[in-house]
Amino acid sequence: MGIEKLQAELDKDLEMLRARDFWGALALICCAVFFLWRTSFIPFLGENRAGVSGAEWYNSAAIVPFGIWFAMLLLGLVLLRIAIKAGGAKRAFSAVGLGWDRQEAIRIGSIAVIMGMFIFALVPRVDFILASGLVITALIYGFHAGRVERMLQSAVAVILPGIYALFMHFPQAEWNKAHDDDWLVMAAWVLLTLWMFAHDRSRIARATPWVAVLTPLILVTAMAFGFRQNVPNRGGLLFSKIEYHYYVTLRPLWRN
Amino acid sequence: MEFFLSQLQGFGGAFAALVTDPITYPYIIISVFLGIVFGALPGLTATLAVTILTGFFGNKIPLDYALIALLGAYVGAIYGGSYPSILLNIPGTAASAATAMDGHPLAKQGRGAEALGLTTTGSFIGTLIGTAALLVFVWALLLISQSIASPEKALLALFGILLSGTLMSEDLVVKGWIAGLAGLAMAMVGLDPLLSEPRYTFGWSYLLSGFQVVPVLMGAFAIPQIIDGLRQIDAGKVIALKGRILPNLAAIRRHMPTIARSGVIGTGVGALPGVGEDVAGWVSYGVGKSASHDGKNFGKGSIEGLLSSETANNACIGGALIPLLVLGIPGSPPAAALMGAFKINNIIPGPTIDPSIILRVCAIMVLASLTMFIMGLFTARVFIQILRLPQTVFLPVVLILTTIGSFSVGGGINDLYLMLGVGALAYFMNLMRYPIAPLVIGVILGGLFDETFRRSLLLSDGDLSGFFTRPTAAVLLALNVALIAGQLPVVRRTFAKLRTR
Repeated sequence: MGIEKLQAELDKDLEMLRARDFWGALALICCAVFFLWRTSFIPFLGENRAGVSGAEWYNSAAIVPFGIWFAMLLLGLVLLRIAIKAGGAKRAFSAVGLGWDRQEAIRIGSIAVIMGMFIFALVPRVDFILASGLVITALIYGFHAGRVERMLQSAVAVILPGIYALFMHFPQAEWNKAHDDDWLVMAAWVLLTLWMFAHDRSRIARATPWVAVLTPLILVTAMAFGFRQNVPNRGGLLFSKIEYHYYVTLRPLWRN
Repeated sequence: MEFFLSQLQGFGGAFAALVTDPITYPYIIISVFLGIVFGALPGLTATLAVTILTGFFGNKIPLDYALIALLGAYVGAIYGGSYPSILLNIPGTAASAATAMDGHPLAKQGRGAEALGLTTTGSFIGTLIGTAALLVFVWALLLISQSIASPEKALLALFGILLSGTLMSEDLVVKGWIAGLAGLAMAMVGLDPLLSEPRYTFGWSYLLSGFQVVPVLMGAFAIPQIIDGLRQIDAGKVIALKGRILPNLAAIRRHMPTIARSGVIGTGVGALPGVGEDVAGWVSYGVGKSASHDGKNFGKGSIEGLLSSETANNACIGGALIPLLVLGIPGSPPAAALMGAFKINNIIPGPTIDPSIILRVCAIMVLASLTMFIMGLFTARVFIQILRLPQTVFLPVVLILTTIGSFSVGGGINDLYLMLGVGALAYFMNLMRYPIAPLVIGVILGGLFDETFRRSLLLSDGDLSGFFTRPTAAVLLALNVALIAGQLPVVRRTFAKLRTR
């Protein structure tokens, strides 16, 4: 009985996989056709370029890309055939075929939104320590208990300051400009932390602020002053103060 | 004999230089420790350890020290995977999946400390076997590789991509090839290496220099891991250890043939392009089971089974470095990350590599394995405490690490966009059971394939005969054709018929 159940589960997984392969193969074929068309823009058969005439086919920058995309097209067709033969096309629109699971969709969607906002809206514009602290808090609080409402709350806590930074300052560092979005991120971080303490008394919740503060702080200072590397947003609310005091207050202590 | 003596002399010099440099020790201790932590935490991998450290140390400190950090983490992470395998029955890394088969039953019998002592010793000896093989074979292969020209290099690069696609696919081989070709396609972005013709840049100046290796590595290996790992997972109960973790010398002596065989298998599998430690562990386990008089006890707490997989996966490290250093073709996913570190330091592994780098790599491997052995015996309980850390706490930290690592290598926000884009692609590929390693190997070897293939055609005025009239090229072409033909249904049916006869 146990083996039959396991076999049924495996069969269901394979059905879902082949349905996904069906969609994947179609996407791959479209992609290959599109890039074959784009590759045709690269001079191939004896075209002139920059005053140099008669580039031979074997000298062309297009020869390898053509080969790759033709091979991709061929493999896409092979995969499509395998998927159709295994019944992938038949189940392509069914719940099994799409592998739809509401809770999993919310989980993935929340992570995607948090990560997307972090990379596209916050890192380019907001102080890295503040942005990272907010994101670490959001991810730990939102996902360690696996509860859907917490995932959504975390996503909202990141989306709001993210959208503000995106629309008010189109994501780019603006030195010597008001740090309104920095303050907003800090407020979101503090509010989310307080909200977490109100709803979660676990050890993990108690440890979260420490992880959220120390991780980016140590990383950024090590990168900037240890390795002497560029870090995002040197003009950020916190980092600008850290950098100022490093050069003005601390460094003279061992320099003199 | 003279050759071996000169080898030993060179290695001795490199090792002496390494151990007499006080800067070595903080790097080796911290990196091996971090490596074991990465290996011990389910959800983090050896590849991720090397990738993240590449972001941090890749081009920020002299290469000599960067290599210590990266190889230390590599050796530590492959060994570290045995902790959760034995104590939780959850492999910390794919490389330690076979270790769980016998390690966990041993722990359940109250022999967890003994099992950890054995895996520590097995990993240590395995690393030494792999390093010895690297030290011996790399020179012979370097001599051969110096005689190969563009056609052979192109066919080798293609073979590496196809082979990793074939062997790393858990579902269909076609998917492995698609992943490899996707990597190749990504390598085509930017100015082409011979004519500086822009390809697929879509008017975005950032893409003129092509895809940077480190953001691609971070995106491919870290982002899917973070997305997948952020869920409530019951880590299970860590089995308490009784007694001290000591190497069981009597058992080691008794199983020396198993250790030696596993070391050789691990090294051999490692030398195959892009295959890696997980395959080495399973292959060695399978061979061990069929060669053992006690094969029926494999999976029930067999020491032989435990040593088979754990020795092989660490021996694989040395093996994986052979094609990397000789041909510039990574032998495993972590070696691909290591290749990224070479690339950002403008060092091209292959026939023209400085021999002193190879000797230094061997010396670092020996020192890293010694450090791992000592740490494994004396600080194991620290790593056992780390097992209790939930994924949802350390994965957000990994996200921050990868973000700042990617940013610092290229120094721009665009690298982060690339990292996230590749991460999303890799996540969907994972979801549909496409292997990720061939994609990364394709990105790394794509430039080499493009340049050498076109240079071959250029030198022969478009004459393709160079690919099958040169003996080495003909062999490599035959291997590529065989690899592809071997997957065709008609060929497989023919072979099946021949077997039944």
